[in-house]
Amino acid sequence: MPVFKTPFNGYSVKFSPFYENRIAVATAQNFGILGNGRLHVLELSSNPTLPISEIAAYDTADGIYDVTWSESHDSIVVAAVADGSVKLYDLALPPTANPIRSFHEHTREVHSADYNPVRRDSFLSASWDDTVKLWTLDRPTSVRTFKEHAYCVYSSVWNPRHADVFASASGDCTLRIWDVREPGSTMILPAHDHEILSCDWNKYDDCIIATASVDKSIKVWDVRNFRVPISVLNGHGYAVRKVKFSPHVRNLMVSCSYDMTVCVWDFMVEDALVSRYDQHTEFAVGVDMSVLVEGLIASTGWDELVYVWQHGTDPRAS
Amino acid sequence: MDKAINRQKVLLQHLNPSQSSSSTSLSASACLAGDSAAYHRTASFGDDVVIVAAYRTALCKAKRGGFKDTHADDLLAPVLKAVIEKTNLNPSEVGDIVVGSVLGGGSQRASECRMAAFYAGFPETVPVRTVNRQCSSGLQAVADVAAAIRAGFYDIGIGAGLESMTTNPMAWEGSVNPKVQMFEQAQNCLLPMGITSENVSNRFGVSRKEQDEAAVESHRRAAAATASGKFKDEIIPVLTKIVDPKTGEEKSVTISVDDGIRPNATLSDLAKLKPVFKKDGTTTAGNSSQVSDGAGAVLLMKRSIAIQKGLPILGVFRSFVAVGVDPAIMGVGPAAAIPVAVKAAGLELDDIDLFEINEAFASQFVYCRNKLGLDSQKINVNGGAMAIGHPLGATGARCVATLLHEMKRRGKDCRFGVISMCIGTGMGAAAVFERGDSVDELRNARKVDDLYLSKDAR
Repeated sequence: MPVFKTPFNGYSVKFSPFYENRIAVATAQNFGILGNGRLHVLELSSNPTLPISEIAAYDTADGIYDVTWSESHDSIVVAAVADGSVKLYDLALPPTANPIRSFHEHTREVHSADYNPVRRDSFLSASWDDTVKLWTLDRPTSVRTFKEHAYCVYSSVWNPRHADVFASASGDCTLRIWDVREPGSTMILPAHDHEILSCDWNKYDDCIIATASVDKSIKVWDVRNFRVPISVLNGHGYAVRKVKFSPHVRNLMVSCSYDMTVCVWDFMVEDALVSRYDQHTEFAVGVDMSVLVEGLIASTGWDELVYVWQHGTDPRAS
Repeated sequence: MDKAINRQKVLLQHLNPSQSSSSTSLSASACLAGDSAAYHRTASFGDDVVIVAAYRTALCKAKRGGFKDTHADDLLAPVLKAVIEKTNLNPSEVGDIVVGSVLGGGSQRASECRMAAFYAGFPETVPVRTVNRQCSSGLQAVADVAAAIRAGFYDIGIGAGLESMTTNPMAWEGSVNPKVQMFEQAQNCLLPMGITSENVSNRFGVSRKEQDEAAVESHRRAAAATASGKFKDEIIPVLTKIVDPKTGEEKSVTISVDDGIRPNATLSDLAKLKPVFKKDGTTTAGNSSQVSDGAGAVLLMKRSIAIQKGLPILGVFRSFVAVGVDPAIMGVGPAAAIPVAVKAAGLELDDIDLFEINEAFASQFVYCRNKLGLDSQKINVNGGAMAIGHPLGATGARCVATLLHEMKRRGKDCRFGVISMCIGTGMGAAAVFERGDSVDELRNARKVDDLYLSKDAR
């Protein structure tokens, strides 16, 4: 399965919801600490022996921490940039016209971007300035700012079933569930004793959410009974950076961690760890599962490599 | 730039979360063992020069003691033989024998040493030479062999010391160059050693009482060591003859005990002695080193060779230094040389566990001990030259035997030892040795008060 080497350190990877062989990769120079960033849009070839090719690449003045595809337009990507801006790129337009939008409202690094999969008209940005902002493509300013967290918000994710519900994971060790129609957060889960770096909703049960934390564990919660997690997944050696539920299998989820591994879990089973992939030689910080191809996983890390492979196969095999 | 620092902080928090409410996992803290130089440095390498055997004869009073009728070469031969026999070494493998010897005539003494090697069963292919740096000659011989092994001249060598002050008393032959009148330092080289001792006690205020106390202690410790059999490990019995001075009758004897030690020496006995060198001086026969006969030999080789031959390692040669001092107060030699040798070994004075400082005179011995601030419990623990004797050229080699065997007895906690002596005509020499076999790293961890990880942080 192919490998792509990015010039900068990888931060996030996302499959396109429209094209099964298209992925976007967010990268940042010097591990995202200081330097530029680059957004890559890559094309996997149908023949697995052929290498990944790059369709487009966009440079930014600061590192890009996250990327998300638009659900409404097949050529639009949203980049969460470390200088606090949210930039929109259109692949259909020539590079000189890009970025088509640059929203600069966050006062600190934007760590995550997520597009509403139900309504398809809006997206969220989560920032280290403790806020989550709601945007639409047409408006020049944010629709709403959600300011309740006490520390960096690392991730905000829309619920795949309910159009107005999203969750935000923060360094203040809480997970908050929000409804955009409500003035404040509807639920606060003190999920971990340490920072929560990522969260994701289950694609088959709209009340199940997973949180990934600095305490090296992933906890799966039912929001109806948020005192006790459904299950606690231990196995990572360092903080878990990202967690994603499988769009195809109800119980399956994938996570990547600072321990340089990508793990696949089945949270309903006693021995939850299904597979562990250790292809990365630096922190593995980005992982995604394709919606269009069952079992296709992409991961990226600070070792400047992007791997795309089928679950159950060796990511390094070519 | 602040942004970069903040981003780094955020990332660092992911990896090393500082706040933890209930469960405390591992946390970093400064190493409590500290950075004592001895703890981590000096690993053992195959090309270290190690001592696998060190022996001496008993030291006897010159002219009156057990070796008064023994030829000088008959003193050396038994120790040369011993280092070979006890290690089962093939004598032809020895690359050189270097013998420190002071008072014998240069060429004659060198020939005597060559002859001693033949008595000891060495083949003609093994060369022999002598070395003379006055009182440090025995130590210098060991250092020369170590240096030659390091330089690759040979892999196995013997450093030895020999002196028969019965045969060769201290004397000056021929006239003195009148030029010395114009060079005070040169003139001071001619001072009798006792006068330099008085100079030291005057200039640095070492009282008669202190000197006598040091002498008593030396005798006490030497007597205790002899009584408890400690010296049996290092003394090679010598079969020789004694001629009765009155009847001329020859008797065959085996000398295996130092005969200069006075177990019952007391302060009052010593106080009765009259100063020898200056009318109202402090230096007496009791608080000076004894004039003696004796020899010692040390077998050195590369560590890799020792391991190959399966020989247990008695000690490791670490450093040697010779420095010059004012000839008029030559006794300060150890105070000058010891810090340099210790530093050359990459250590500090605190790291040294045992000292052998030659007691040429109690005055200089006490001065050096006080000047360096050394713990008297660590110095000359089995007595010194005032009790045992100071056969000039042999002293260095005999101290190696005494030091290494004592360090071996004391166990792994006694890791580094220093031998030092003052040298007539104004010098000092010192050498650092490390205990043999492997070091018990856990027991050598020393607690320190400040938690600086490095000495440079001070």
